[in-house]
Amino acid sequence: MGRKNGETLIFVSLGVPTAICLAAFAWIAGSLFTGIGTLNPALLTTSVLQGGYFEMIMGTIYLLLGAAAIAGPIGLFASIYLVEYARPGKITAIIDQSINNLAGVPSIVIGLFGYTFFSKQLGLGVSLAAGWLTLTLMMLPIVIRGSEESLRMVPGAFKEAALALGATKWKAVSSTSVSGAAPGIVTSVILGMARVAGETAAIIAVSCVLITRGLPKSPLEPVMALSYNLFVRIIALGESAQEVFGIALILFAIVTSFAIFGIVLRTYYRRKQPWLR
Amino acid sequence: MAKVDIRNLNVWFKENHVLKDVSLTIRENAVTAVMGPSGCGKTTLIRAINRMNDVISGSRSSGELFIDGKNVYDSNTNVYELRRKVGMVFQKPNPFPKSIFENVAFGVKIHKMATDKKLSEIVQTSLTEAALWDEVRNRLNDSAFSLSGGQQQRLCIARALAVEPEVILMDEPCSALDPAATAKIEGLMRSLSERYTVIVVTHNLQQAARVSDFTAFMYVGQLIEYGDTNSVFENPKNETTEKYITGKFG
Repeated sequence: MGRKNGETLIFVSLGVPTAICLAAFAWIAGSLFTGIGTLNPALLTTSVLQGGYFEMIMGTIYLLLGAAAIAGPIGLFASIYLVEYARPGKITAIIDQSINNLAGVPSIVIGLFGYTFFSKQLGLGVSLAAGWLTLTLMMLPIVIRGSEESLRMVPGAFKEAALALGATKWKAVSSTSVSGAAPGIVTSVILGMARVAGETAAIIAVSCVLITRGLPKSPLEPVMALSYNLFVRIIALGESAQEVFGIALILFAIVTSFAIFGIVLRTYYRRKQPWLR
Repeated sequence: MAKVDIRNLNVWFKENHVLKDVSLTIRENAVTAVMGPSGCGKTTLIRAINRMNDVISGSRSSGELFIDGKNVYDSNTNVYELRRKVGMVFQKPNPFPKSIFENVAFGVKIHKMATDKKLSEIVQTSLTEAALWDEVRNRLNDSAFSLSGGQQQRLCIARALAVEPEVILMDEPCSALDPAATAKIEGLMRSLSERYTVIVVTHNLQQAARVSDFTAFMYVGQLIEYGDTNSVFENPKNETTEKYITGKFG
């Protein structure tokens, strides 16, 4: 085989998988956009009781914001502890490995845990709050790992300068490491939200119902969610494909916009922080 | 008068004995240079004075180190107050990623040393003292990173001056700077020594000879020779010192 043929072979074997990925994406995008016909802006703000999507969209957003409000601070404090305070050793290694394992737990298993622990054991029932806590478990590894990475990227020289001026350790850490890493930490929370925005299995049993009258009035009430509605409509109700794709498209837009927002934010702040260049 | 009095100081990093039985007395309102080849323990020596070795994991020490007659290694020493009193300037300029003003104000704020009104006064005085005021007076809110390397180092000096220290430690403050910026910092060391006790680590012999009143020469963790700069350079008593300053090694 000549050198030229070898090059061609490599080009083909690298190019074909790429083409397959692109084709699959195009097909998904194409299918989703068949649902665009069923959507109109008014439906987004119309109650489900009148055939709209308002409660499911808001339900998804409620779930996301609540989970972020819980996972954000916990993840931040955990990452500060791991980066700045934990001494290397067995316990730190175990915590570290547990975080990795948590990231690898299938969402249906997290959902099952949420159901037995938050819904039953803690008595939260099928509720927004139980959903927040369950989704928090899924977000945490992403928030912790992302925040850890940002904290480690802030040069130690800043912290050293603060300590040498007579700052306490916490003051040095909070005013240099954490403030320097803040944009990265916010980004990791947003990427964590993007990760769980489309989550279905984890919240099926803990917080979702097919239909509610209006939005939940307290965290202890159940909530509607785009992903759950999609799931039920496909499996149980056998709705016409187009309407299902309409919901899928809204969900896709929410997930993607979170991810894009997170990435844009990260890129923007990396430019502003000279030590990251 | 003696400002810093070090007696039989030993420092270990894990199993590594980096400072061996060092004793020396550092004079007030003078520039004392600590010189020696890389790895001789000179940085460890000055970091022992403001207990910045404490933040390195695995470090421990023995011996005594008095500042104004008080042993800073006493268990009841307030380390934060010690580090306010003993300022430090690092090898590489390390301003905070904040504005010029906020950099100088940082220490004043954490020690709650001034009201907002007095704060800008302190910032101005400190920047003036560090010979930077005229260059930054119209851009105090700009990022510290917009300054040149030499200006950043002077900003770090101003930041240390703002908390009213008595001793200023400088760890090879010019090693990342060009000759012009180096000359400015050296001039500053001289003028600062009128009010402060300046201790500067350098591996640059000419610098030690130019700026210091007293010179300590260290080699593999030990203090080999210490005396006034003229006699150390012109008439070294120790053979190792002589070899070092005549460039036979180092």
